[in-house]
Amino acid sequence: MLIQQLANGIAIGSVYALISLGLTMVYGILRILHVAHAGIYALGAYVGWFSFRLIGDFWLSLLIGMAGSALAGYFVQRYLYSPLLHLPRIAPLIVSIGLFIAMEETFRIIAGPHTLTYNARVGLGDLSIGNFQLTETQILILFITGLILVILWAILTRTRTGLAMRACAMDAETTSSFGVNVNAIIAINFLLGSAMAGAAGVLIGVYDNQVWPTMGSIPAYKSLAIVVLGGLGNIPGTVLASLVVGLAETFFIGVVAIPFPRDAVAFIAMILVLMFRPYGLLGKA
Amino acid sequence: MRRFMYLALWTIFVFLFVGLVQAQDTIKIGFFAPITGPAAADGTSAKHAVELGLKEVNDAGGIKGKKVELIIYDDRLNPQEAVAIANKLIEKDKVVGVVSGSYSGPTRVTAPIFQKAEIPMVAGYAVHPDVTWDPTQKKPNDFIFRNGFLGEVEGAAAAEFAVKNLKAKKISIISMDNDFGRAISAGFAARAEKLGSTILTKQMYKFPGEKDFRPFLTRIKEGNPDLIFAAGYYNEAASIVRQAKELGITAQIMGEEGFDSPKFLEIAGPAAEGVIIATNLDRDDPRPVVQNFLTNYRKAYNEDADMVGASSYDAFMILVDAIKKAGTDPKAIQKALLETKDYNGLTGKISRFIQGEVVKPVQIQVVKGGKFRRLGVVDNPEVITPPLKQ
Repeated sequence: MLIQQLANGIAIGSVYALISLGLTMVYGILRILHVAHAGIYALGAYVGWFSFRLIGDFWLSLLIGMAGSALAGYFVQRYLYSPLLHLPRIAPLIVSIGLFIAMEETFRIIAGPHTLTYNARVGLGDLSIGNFQLTETQILILFITGLILVILWAILTRTRTGLAMRACAMDAETTSSFGVNVNAIIAINFLLGSAMAGAAGVLIGVYDNQVWPTMGSIPAYKSLAIVVLGGLGNIPGTVLASLVVGLAETFFIGVVAIPFPRDAVAFIAMILVLMFRPYGLLGKA
Repeated sequence: MRRFMYLALWTIFVFLFVGLVQAQDTIKIGFFAPITGPAAADGTSAKHAVELGLKEVNDAGGIKGKKVELIIYDDRLNPQEAVAIANKLIEKDKVVGVVSGSYSGPTRVTAPIFQKAEIPMVAGYAVHPDVTWDPTQKKPNDFIFRNGFLGEVEGAAAAEFAVKNLKAKKISIISMDNDFGRAISAGFAARAEKLGSTILTKQMYKFPGEKDFRPFLTRIKEGNPDLIFAAGYYNEAASIVRQAKELGITAQIMGEEGFDSPKFLEIAGPAAEGVIIATNLDRDDPRPVVQNFLTNYRKAYNEDADMVGASSYDAFMILVDAIKKAGTDPKAIQKALLETKDYNGLTGKISRFIQGEVVKPVQIQVVKGGKFRRLGVVDNPEVITPPLKQ
């Protein structure tokens, strides 16, 4: 049963990673807390669901969901955050929270208060070895997350754009003095991060067979805890933190049977990290 | 600007006029439900069902020639909002009685207000004991009545069926962590243990929020129970049922009225087959009051009725019945409600109210062919009589 819990934990941790990466990338480059990122995640689920209803193909609906989220993320950056960057960092944070609430209400008004079902099957089938079950959606989550992480890693380390992104995260002003178009880099950052959140939305929609207006409300704060845990702006740290939180939640519930809700785990971990390693799991002092 | 002023004045006149005409000879009944907000789906069901009841009453000529007027408010599942609504219903709308189509939170805070104003309220499906009970004075709120079961009663009835009919010896419980889940799973565990079964595991999950039940279910699977009792609402219930199936769990899953929604069947899909629930709506009940409601609801709203709607409809009709007997004086209505005997309700025959709590059999339904069908009825008086509060 331990190996079953391991699979459960890695699957949910992978989704946390997809959501949190965008958040940490935005923080790394703009130093703002992008709470509406969770709204972008829910938007991905809704766009994916809608296109799945129209087209009936999971892979296409995944791509459309990611594209929808990427576009939304770009617009948020271009028209909401950019004009506010000269203000104290609290201003974009307030805008972000307001936008997040507005997005949840918009989903409810347009798609209704009811839960929608995203019953996509890709025909992989479940993997079952004795008592151990790896469901089709779990395989899908592991595969897609793995693929996206490899692509992200390749972009960041093997392309000039990736180099510029990492340089911007270190020091945007100096990078711009070397002739790099920082605004374009910020936009690419948002496009990538939001597309990943959109993928997470679609995957959760299929994993739980549910898409609902407030599906972003828990990721909205849990991903903040994960990002802190990973060391704000640290990409490998965020991936590690997501897996740690996903596994810890699963083991605390399923093996140790803790008497408090799973969301507590991420925050306890965050408090411990702030006390003993304030620079994050992988950061350097 | 002047034109706007004229328009505004006219609008006010029209409203005043309409108000005057309406005030003349209607019987006003108040209603509140979470029509928007996190419980909007249930609030809408409740509102739809009560409006259907209203139409039936008025189409049949109203009560003693007077039309019934329903004053509808949206509490957004917010207790503060509900307090304001209760005061408005009493002071501004001057209703003769109230129907709650809401959850325990909003219903519970309005109970003492209606009790103090001596306006009777019938709650459709709110489960908290303090709806009908004043915990500070330690006496019943005798103007408040409940059409739904107490959580303890429904849980005990589910256990009665699980142990006696399904012969479940080893049972695991997974319950949502709120008043509803706690009360219902406590009632289940107490009765199941009294009847000699063993509770292997007892887990609580956070509501709202939990969607990934795989860690809980993997733990349950280890113990290899005969039956899993799951207490929760339909979204979470559907996830539990689906994920249990995915994990290869073959134990019988039993739920309660929170499962009782077409949404449960839709989200859970084929995994819902064979799931058994304890509820108060029997869709295979041949009585016309049940069959007419189901058909009319489907016709009016193009979706199937659920437990929340049926219970709210009943609450409204119970109140209407009392007004028919007693007239429009709130105290006389309360007396008629206290004297309710063998009322032919949509959600079962109500023998009477004890301390405001309904006494009626608990229905056991099973999902067969993608629909809730009758499996049995629990009418053991030892189980369905609500325990006296003190």
